[in-house]
Amino acid sequence: MTNTLHRQGTRENLAGDYVIFSTSAAGYNKEGCAPQIKQFYQIVLRHDPVNVGGINTGNMTKDGIENILQRVNDATHATAVFDNLDTLAKVVQELKEADLGFSINISGLIEGADECCRKAGLVRHSVEHSLGYVGAVNRLPERPVLEISTMCGHGMVSFNLVKKMIELVKLGKLTPAQAAGQLARPCECGAFNPKRAEFLLEQLRNMG
Amino acid sequence: MLVDESKCVGCGNCVPVCTMGVISIQNGLAAINQDECVECSTCYRVLMREDRPPWLVRSIRSILSALHLTYDAPFGVCPTSALVKPELTWPRMVRRAFSDVLEPHASTGIPGRGTEEIKTNDVTGRLQEGDAGFVVELGRPGIGARFRDIEKFAMALAPLGAEFEGKNPVTSLMTDPMTGKVQDDILDEKVMSAIIEFKVSQDKVPAILSRIEELGGEIDTVACIGIGARCDSGRIPYEEAVRAGGLTLSVNGKTNLGLGRVVPKEASR
Repeated sequence: MTNTLHRQGTRENLAGDYVIFSTSAAGYNKEGCAPQIKQFYQIVLRHDPVNVGGINTGNMTKDGIENILQRVNDATHATAVFDNLDTLAKVVQELKEADLGFSINISGLIEGADECCRKAGLVRHSVEHSLGYVGAVNRLPERPVLEISTMCGHGMVSFNLVKKMIELVKLGKLTPAQAAGQLARPCECGAFNPKRAEFLLEQLRNMG
Repeated sequence: MLVDESKCVGCGNCVPVCTMGVISIQNGLAAINQDECVECSTCYRVLMREDRPPWLVRSIRSILSALHLTYDAPFGVCPTSALVKPELTWPRMVRRAFSDVLEPHASTGIPGRGTEEIKTNDVTGRLQEGDAGFVVELGRPGIGARFRDIEKFAMALAPLGAEFEGKNPVTSLMTDPMTGKVQDDILDEKVMSAIIEFKVSQDKVPAILSRIEELGGEIDTVACIGIGARCDSGRIPYEEAVRAGGLTLSVNGKTNLGLGRVVPKEASR
């Protein structure tokens, strides 16, 4: 699944980074759930997400929406990314009304997700926090690289690819938007937020 | 992952894409450190395969080089389709299972990291009131981990009352889930990351956190730690225990909205 728990960032730049995803459970609600997963996609697509995908469907940047919808099956865990809380709250409201059956989670600022729940008349069921890293943290790259790389929770966006894109942006060979598009490609399930990556790359370019 | 040397033209596009940073250009060709490669297949999947004739690409590069010009393949392609995804046998195949996001885990049938954590807790009830669920992911971000380190964590946490999640790929590789012992034949295998998933009662949270901190000093990789629980009455039950342990909860995390329900089989048909 998306494994979006450990996205690095500040409260400010995480305010534009919310992932919402469906997870079905074998033996409970997975069997025959493909039509409802398509419905999940249809709902999120009405709200202009910055990315959409799923592990076995591919992502919006690399595979395109049509392919994603065609590849949906019972095992699909669908993902969509939004860059603001107001839109996310509307999505949550629609998903609640659609009553799709499987579990829906939000990954993002805990207080923002809670606000969405309250607006939709929901009480959050469970939460999960990151407690950071232990171990050989000296082997990790500098924070801007981590902030971009960890947007793919499965680690498909390598540190070296992020460094390369930062370099190409600083050299003026790619725009931040073009580089963000390249960075979004490896993240199969579409949890990567290219808008936030563009914002972070822009900041890095301006810092020189 | 393997490189077909008869096809590789040494363009280097696969180098930055490698999640473990173990592809380099040596003697004009891509070379993959097989001991460090985790078989994630990211290079194979992300680079578009152009299938251009190697002789043609090499000729163009040679001619341009003679003219003091360069030809670099556009970023994001493997111009000659030189990467080869091999069939793997045991024990190396565990690398792909834990590293290639498209490979479902045989033990859980779930792709990705193979775990559901709190994501389906509204339906499965894996974590009940009074439980704290931990996810200790070794190797992440971007460093990778050997099962030897994963076993070290599991065996150190088991005596503290850690109840390993049965539907978890790491647990399925333990010879004894009561002790956290992992199968000997995979201990040297390297994976992108693997999640040890367990629950304890809330009162054990401080002891677990303290032991995890200690274990961090004993490994040459990183581990990221997550904690989750049911939010009865909207409250986060582990908040005080974490702060008392001198740790800080992230501002972001996962929230299960509680919209899941058991769907009767006849209704899903």
